[in-house]
Amino acid sequence: MDKRVVFAVAGSGKTSHIINGLESDSKTLILTYTDNNLSNLKHRILQKFGEIPSGIKVYSYFQFVYSFCFRPLYGHELKTKGINWHVPPFNTLKMKRNDPRFYIDSHSRLYSNRIAKLIEQLGINDEVIKRIEKYFDSICVDEVQDFAGHDFNFLLSIFPANISQLFVGDFYQHTFDTSRDGNVNKSLHDCYDKYKAKFTKVGYVVDEELLSKSHRCSPIVCSFVSENLSIHIDSHRSDQTNIEFIECKNQAIEIMSCPDTAKLFYQDSRKYKGYTENWGATKGLDCFENICIILNPTTLKLFENGKLEELKPQTKNKLYVACTRAKHNIYFIPEKLIKYMKN
Amino acid sequence: MKIIEKIKLFNFKRFSNFEVQFTEEVNLLIGDNEAGKSSLLTAIELVLSGSKSKIDSIGIDNLFNKQIINEFLVSDKSIANLPTLRIELYLNEQNNPHLNGKVNSEGVACDGLVLTCEPNEELTHEISEVLAQEKSNFPYEYYVVNFATFSGQAYSGYRKFLKFLALDSSQINNDYATREYIKAVYDNFVEQTARIKLKNEYRQQKVAFKETNLKSINDKLDEYQFSIRSSTKSNLETDLNIVEDDVPIENKGKGRQCFIKTEFALREHDADKPLDVLLLEEPENHLSHTNMKRLVHRISESHAKQIFVATHNSLISTRLNLRNSILLNSSSPEPLTMTDLPEDTAKFFMKAPDNNVLEFILSAKVILVEGDAEYILLDSFYSLVTGSSLEADDIHVISVGGTSFKRYLDIAKVLGIRTAVIRDNDGDYQTNCIDSYLGYVADNIGIFYDAVNTSSTFEICLYDLNQDACDELWLADRKTLSVQEYMLKNKADCAFELLDKKADQIIIPDYIERAFQWINE
Repeated sequence: MDKRVVFAVAGSGKTSHIINGLESDSKTLILTYTDNNLSNLKHRILQKFGEIPSGIKVYSYFQFVYSFCFRPLYGHELKTKGINWHVPPFNTLKMKRNDPRFYIDSHSRLYSNRIAKLIEQLGINDEVIKRIEKYFDSICVDEVQDFAGHDFNFLLSIFPANISQLFVGDFYQHTFDTSRDGNVNKSLHDCYDKYKAKFTKVGYVVDEELLSKSHRCSPIVCSFVSENLSIHIDSHRSDQTNIEFIECKNQAIEIMSCPDTAKLFYQDSRKYKGYTENWGATKGLDCFENICIILNPTTLKLFENGKLEELKPQTKNKLYVACTRAKHNIYFIPEKLIKYMKN
Repeated sequence: MKIIEKIKLFNFKRFSNFEVQFTEEVNLLIGDNEAGKSSLLTAIELVLSGSKSKIDSIGIDNLFNKQIINEFLVSDKSIANLPTLRIELYLNEQNNPHLNGKVNSEGVACDGLVLTCEPNEELTHEISEVLAQEKSNFPYEYYVVNFATFSGQAYSGYRKFLKFLALDSSQINNDYATREYIKAVYDNFVEQTARIKLKNEYRQQKVAFKETNLKSINDKLDEYQFSIRSSTKSNLETDLNIVEDDVPIENKGKGRQCFIKTEFALREHDADKPLDVLLLEEPENHLSHTNMKRLVHRISESHAKQIFVATHNSLISTRLNLRNSILLNSSSPEPLTMTDLPEDTAKFFMKAPDNNVLEFILSAKVILVEGDAEYILLDSFYSLVTGSSLEADDIHVISVGGTSFKRYLDIAKVLGIRTAVIRDNDGDYQTNCIDSYLGYVADNIGIFYDAVNTSSTFEICLYDLNQDACDELWLADRKTLSVQEYMLKNKADCAFELLDKKADQIIIPDYIERAFQWINE
């Protein structure tokens, strides 16, 4: 059985790779974390087959861990009423791990970040694996870099399942976590090499070749990202596009009012009218031609000094996501030029 | 094929805790009145429908087991002990993770659906107030209904895991039931996308009618115009009807309606999306004998669907194979299935003349006799011997019409019916009455016969004991035959005359008296 983790770069066709591997009679489990990507995956499957074939199940991670794993296997012993998405009260961290209150709130809801831990605690991992094997020949996990906390451990615990396994992700597009809990896997995303080692140690093959080139981004965008953000990315393309730094206010206003150019902000994009979005929220989207990235004072300073790689990792990842949305040109605009447009 | 393998009922109607396995083709639910045949069909229908409104229309109070409610009301009425109603349908492997899990009363991972009706936990305060009242007030209104799969996932009527149709012939003239029937059949025949398209086209027709046919009238009017109604109460699905030779089914006789509806439902209309489950409530209602035979033929020929039939009718139950019977009994909580009945016996009843086998099955104590003569006399014999009557002691007498007793005894063995066989020794009691029944030695089976080989038949025994009375009745007219010969040639008539004229002085053969004693032991 092929059990593989493919590290991909932005726009290299992660989702396409998963979709291309599907047949109408596939028995495949597809997991992802964000709602955006969930609907994107379903949409792509519908495009390919005209329906979602009955053997292919696309679940969000929490739907999977709660409705596919926990409830069918333990719901008869422990009646729960869904998921509590809030961070559990701090004092619960001191509780013993066999104390039900560690997992369940006073309204019989499971704390989202501890469902994976509960499965481990109940010792039903083997049953989870059997259940996965019963219904599926293969599992695909998209955006695998989002898995954190107990969820990451849970993901690795699937390894023994005797089905082919394909995890796809981009370490540097780690902008969300499925969940966190205290110190569990807290430093998971601090170092790419250590992160890869976690998979190889369990037995997964790590593949950094297959999806190392971007279809979406032009050579110029790729080299900008590689040089300024120290995130290596190659392009399949050879055409020329532009990256422009806008200093003229009139030009900035013209771009801001262009309805076809997406304006991407570090945060608070909703406070600006028009076609705006936050950097992090564009992950997984593939609908932008030209984009305009708004630089707040901190980022602007680093940008001007050519030191963007010194951004906080989380911010740097978000900027990486934003830059790699562009199929064509990128315009960088300092926030101060357009701040007066803020509502 | 989608099969309901088993049903479990908790606190539903007369079943406080009940379980029965089903076969994958025909399941015959037989039983006395009030035994729960219809309840079982209702239970299946409710779970498959996923319809809360269906439950509301019946009323939760009518679905709950009355005994459990009464027990609760005389207890300390603790809110924690409020009873819960559950119906679980266990399905065969469906290859669908949404149906599979351990969320069932057995805690075993399998495919299935469950309906629960339990107190609303959000309203515990209000429920406590109701329970605190002096009066016996059960908080039905605070109960909530949930439909879920064994994976714990909720479902509703929009998501049907099994396609089913329920037909209740006692509701045959009920407008609502007819509409529901037509809608169900239509839903099963026509794909959803096609239904939507047709509905749209029908509405367009109405618009067209207004714009052409009503135009001349509307042209004479100004702001207020005539149009054709189009709404949820008036659309294609509400206007659909089923006709035979252009006569709407509701204008047909009840019998014909029953027949058409059942036959229509049985039709193999769509090989890809067949009906999975058909529920038939007393299909014999309103049907003539010939129509019933045709219907039985249709049912037995139908494939690829699981059929549940609740019936009172011997013909239906024997012709559809007694081995498929599930016997519900108001006195015992356990259902009795007849899968252990020997196959040749089941086949025998399929082919045998119309008989009273259901009467036999539904009885606790039965006396089997060979022919009409015994049958006619047995009632008064019983009264003379016991001073009681067969009805009062709940004993059924069945004339087997020959010596096929063993077929009935096969059933008696399976169901534990106390059965006395009264038979002639036919000149060799050892062979005919003892050796022949060696396979049927059981506490609930007794064979009664005259142990004198020369008393080979009932008539001979009777004549020997009642010579004077018989001679008095028949000797005068005899020319060639002896009285005994005459009696043997006219068994039923003589029995009737004897009963009519000499009932008070008949001496009863000893083996029959013994049978009476034994049956009441």
